[in-house]
Amino acid sequence: MRPMSAKAKTPSVGARPLASATAGRTGQAVGSLLQRLFPTTSATGRALRLAGLTAGVTGSYVGYIAQRLFLGEEWGGKKRRSTHAKAGRAIRDELQLLRGPIMKLGQALSLHTDIVPEEMLAELTKLQMEAPGMHPSLALAQFKASVGRSPEQVFQRFDAEPFAAASLGQVHRAVMRDGRCAAVKIQYPGIRAAIENDFRWIRNITLPAQASGHLPKKVLDEMESQIVAETDYVREADHIEFFKSALKPLEFVVVPDVYRDCSTDRVLTMSVVAGQHLDAFLAKHPSQRLRDLVGSRLLELFTFQLLMLEVLHADPHWGNYLFNDDGTIGLIDFGCVKRFGSDFVGSLRKGFLYPGRFDSPEFQRIVQEQFGGPGQTLTPGAQRALADFALRFYRKVYPPDPKDAERAFDFSDPDFLRDFLRAAGKLTRARPGANPEYVFMVRAEVGLYTTLHRLKARVHTSAIVRRLLTESRKEHRAS
Amino acid sequence: MSRHSSPVAGRRAKNKKTTKARIVAAALALFQVKGFDATTTKAIARKARVAEGTVFNYFPTKEDIALHFLEQEVEHAMATVRANKRLRKAPIEEKLFALIETQLEFLAPHERFIGAAFVHALRPGSKLGIFSPSAQELQYRYLAFVQELVDDAVRRGELSGAGWWTPHVFWIFYLGILLYWLHDSSPGKQQTLAFLDRSLKIGVTVLGQI
Repeated sequence: MRPMSAKAKTPSVGARPLASATAGRTGQAVGSLLQRLFPTTSATGRALRLAGLTAGVTGSYVGYIAQRLFLGEEWGGKKRRSTHAKAGRAIRDELQLLRGPIMKLGQALSLHTDIVPEEMLAELTKLQMEAPGMHPSLALAQFKASVGRSPEQVFQRFDAEPFAAASLGQVHRAVMRDGRCAAVKIQYPGIRAAIENDFRWIRNITLPAQASGHLPKKVLDEMESQIVAETDYVREADHIEFFKSALKPLEFVVVPDVYRDCSTDRVLTMSVVAGQHLDAFLAKHPSQRLRDLVGSRLLELFTFQLLMLEVLHADPHWGNYLFNDDGTIGLIDFGCVKRFGSDFVGSLRKGFLYPGRFDSPEFQRIVQEQFGGPGQTLTPGAQRALADFALRFYRKVYPPDPKDAERAFDFSDPDFLRDFLRAAGKLTRARPGANPEYVFMVRAEVGLYTTLHRLKARVHTSAIVRRLLTESRKEHRAS
Repeated sequence: MSRHSSPVAGRRAKNKKTTKARIVAAALALFQVKGFDATTTKAIARKARVAEGTVFNYFPTKEDIALHFLEQEVEHAMATVRANKRLRKAPIEEKLFALIETQLEFLAPHERFIGAAFVHALRPGSKLGIFSPSAQELQYRYLAFVQELVDDAVRRGELSGAGWWTPHVFWIFYLGILLYWLHDSSPGKQQTLAFLDRSLKIGVTVLGQI
């Protein structure tokens, strides 16, 4: 659920072309998107433009991390600011028209603060906040078609104008018959079919990248099943109820209640969660103490979910959190829940705060488990890249020595995120295997660290992780 | 006191209206279950609990019943859009969306019959066909309303490229939507909603840029 600008923006042309025209138009859009993204005349730029509609497109999700990270250096100082802002706006408009997974590409891009310049980032960030809206007549029709009764028959009051946008729909305020306030999320009609069409197209267009192994089929399958699953609101309601109960130990987390009798697979009625999105929260200049508190809690929430529950509530981009002045954090949007395999989390438990040398055989075994996947042996290059990644990033952010437990890591450091993304870039170029869980994990971490960076939070990273590691190991052994 | 305003005449007119409504309801129920072609006037009379001759008094043919229903549908949709205060300030694509959506909602319980009526209308000489005077009268009433909406949009600067032909194009578009809706098997016919929304936005954008 993301706040909308005062008025839901209606796109200037059809939100999405008719099915028959989808591929052509989407292709063109992505082509021009790439040209705007990389308007350079340098060799890399030309190569990328040549890649155009084929390999370049693999950038949408995973390939983006894999193929574009090295561009970070090239951007520095070369481009004029206005060009960035203009390109950002154009990309945002283009992506908003396309919806579906391509819009998610925009959201993914907006998390890459090192590659995407500030001005462009500002425009892309809006994508998370301002998805194109359904006009009230369409939202009402979709509600009625799905619930079987009109909102007037179901609620005491229903606001026909949406107050927030979700990537697959929009959210309306309502008052239940018994007076409780509710948020009603209504899905854009036909979104599931649209996503399936888009993926058919993405699969065709990425055949070269699939053949070369840059974009393995299982990664695409994982992406598709994740995004398609997000269209089922009954599943999302199940997730909300799971997290409501599972996150009880974290008292600072607020999870909404689901009102099942007014919910379907395309309409989700929930209690209203209080709080502000990151931009609004930061605009009020919260104290350093509050930013530290919220940042620490975000890391605790992330690590708790990962190690104790072996599941993440969503892509942790800041659109999925609501922040409050009392330090509580509201969770919204449970569409993209990711469950990790116990083996994967087991290897994470071993790798977190690993105190030894990263070139030791023990660490190599851990990374082999984590990234290699069954029957896939990591190359020495990939091993080296992983060791380098761990040394440059994790050891810095999560110092393993208990003596450092009192030292807080300062996420405002502009270099740390750049280092993280660069190291991740090197790592992905070394292709240590494409375990889909790892792909999701990297996406999740990028989201978390970007949010912490924007919060400029100082967090006792190792202390939080160590406590949860101990608890989770205990629980793991007990089970 | 005039003849029409007498209580007896008033009662008679009311009875006539009730009988007519009963015949239409009986016919629609049978069209939906048995199909338009297979339904006989005799069966309609039996279901409506009236003499077969009475049915003919009101509706000379089955097509007249269908036409009467379509007239109700169009009147209902136009009245709904007119009565919706919120829509007055809405952009033209939303008004047109609401118009068609209200029509489809009215037609939804009679989908099978509408499918048959659609095919029937394509037969030369059919009273439902576009060249039949009675169907044309209804069509013009509908298009006049669309023209009203379009004129308003032109005044507001939304549709600079619209012309006298716009409602006619819209009519063809409506028939296309109806056909799409009839074949839409998605839950809640949401594909039709999406198709309607997207195509209207494209159409309005094109007409706004000419």
